Amino acid sequence: MRHLKVIKAGLFTTIQDKGRYGYANKGITQSGVMDEISYNYLNKLLQNKEDTNSLEIAFGNIELYSDVETYICVTGAKCEFFINKQPKQNYKVYKINIGDTIKVGKILEGQIVYLSVKGGFHIEKELGSNSTTIKESIGGLNGDKLKNNDTLPCSTHHFTPLTKLKKRFIPRYEDNEEIVLRVVLGYQEQNFKKDQKEKFFGSSYTITKEFDKMGCKLDGVPIVCDIKGIVSEAISFGAIQIPPNGQPIILLKNRQTIGGYPKIGFVIQKDCYKLSQMKIGSKVKFKQITLEKAIELERSFKQLFI
Amino acid sequence: MNFQIASVDSIIIYFGDTISQKVSNEVLDSFKIIEESNLKNIIEIVPSYTSIYIQFDIFSYTHEELYTIIKDIVNTKDKKTNKKQNNKIVTIPVYYDISVAADLQRVATLNNLSIQEVIDIHSSSFYKVYTIGFSAGFGYLGEIDKRIKTPRLNSPRQKVPAKSVAIADTQTAVYPKQSPGGWNILGRTYIDMFDKKLKGFSYLSIGDSVKFEPINKEQFISNGGII
Repeated sequence: MRHLKVIKAGLFTTIQDKGRYGYANKGITQSGVMDEISYNYLNKLLQNKEDTNSLEIAFGNIELYSDVETYICVTGAKCEFFINKQPKQNYKVYKINIGDTIKVGKILEGQIVYLSVKGGFHIEKELGSNSTTIKESIGGLNGDKLKNNDTLPCSTHHFTPLTKLKKRFIPRYEDNEEIVLRVVLGYQEQNFKKDQKEKFFGSSYTITKEFDKMGCKLDGVPIVCDIKGIVSEAISFGAIQIPPNGQPIILLKNRQTIGGYPKIGFVIQKDCYKLSQMKIGSKVKFKQITLEKAIELERSFKQLFI
Repeated sequence: MNFQIASVDSIIIYFGDTISQKVSNEVLDSFKIIEESNLKNIIEIVPSYTSIYIQFDIFSYTHEELYTIIKDIVNTKDKKTNKKQNNKIVTIPVYYDISVAADLQRVATLNNLSIQEVIDIHSSSFYKVYTIGFSAGFGYLGEIDKRIKTPRLNSPRQKVPAKSVAIADTQTAVYPKQSPGGWNILGRTYIDMFDKKLKGFSYLSIGDSVKFEPINKEQFISNGGII
């Protein structure tokens, strides 16, 4: 079959789609792309179906050889991107031919790059998804990250509009900028006293190096909860755990399915995607919004890409 | 019954505050009823000891609406039908031996029992799968007999071998994969608790009844057990 050949896999490149849903009660994490904003733009630009798989490139430095005539696009973090050593732009569809080389070099601004082709890669889904969960060896190519010499099967395409995203829509990730994460109170919020909530919303937190697909540990003013732990229960995407040391943890796509730390509420999905592009050491602040507002934001975000 | 907002598209319904047989039965019965009602546009249903988490399509429900629907379904069914129990019984063969069970002696000593008595007690009860989590296919089973109740290790082990059968407080479990853990190891099975060949990849489902069956070394080895 026609394919892209992996010449250099990069440090941490995996195949992801929106995630694996419906298996959390078997202990299987949802997984999926960390930044659905860039990922949705990618599928939109390539006119792919909304759940089409893509490469999630965490540290750049990936090189592919094309054995196919098709279309390619790169979104997400600002990065060096070359086709046959010619510099190319993110958020723009390019035609590639047999014999072409594609390279994503250094990541310049942001953290994660998405790359896919017209129609995505033809890889069999596991439990309804191509998302790679390395811990459980599910999805992707043999449940693992990309390795040199892997083959990414895809089909030949002759015609596709060479669209590009208007500059004003391209997400930007200025380094070390402080971002605001919008939060709705929920779960055990009644176990946090008023002054603790004020502290939580009034302080600035730093993103620690314990930041991956599972979650993001923050460092700053500790928050005190009236209770030490809770009976283990299911954890949502974006849930904010407050462990006994008082430092918030935001749970992301590869979070454990259940856990026993109290949770003050959740960060709205769109802001979790923005967080995923932030650097270690960046600052975050929390801002409280109502559930109604969060639903409205989430619905309009989803509608944008339907 | 009450609920809390868990995220923009999920609620968590509570059936009680503390772990008990009664609350857990209510959770498992309700889980069964909700699953069988085949409500449209539900993404995840995750029961735990005292709660059921439900993720839904954001265009199909609001949090309040879904809670009201669930409450109605659970309450009506509850009164009409006899308690629908999951009757699936799952047997897990276990080689109980100090060569594969670092804490068999500790559990016996702490509870003033012989090793054989620990094995007999552990393998004589039926356990309910209260929830699955921690890692894929890791079922939390309870409750174990008070006579072998043993606290977690003071400091967790870096590596608990895959397929170890262990206890902690009133719970018991099988580690699907090698992982860190602080539970007391009583034996080892040859069953894959998490296997891509299985439907849903998990040997256990929430609500199953589990029975541990002691086997000897020959049976363990001939079925692929590893010491």
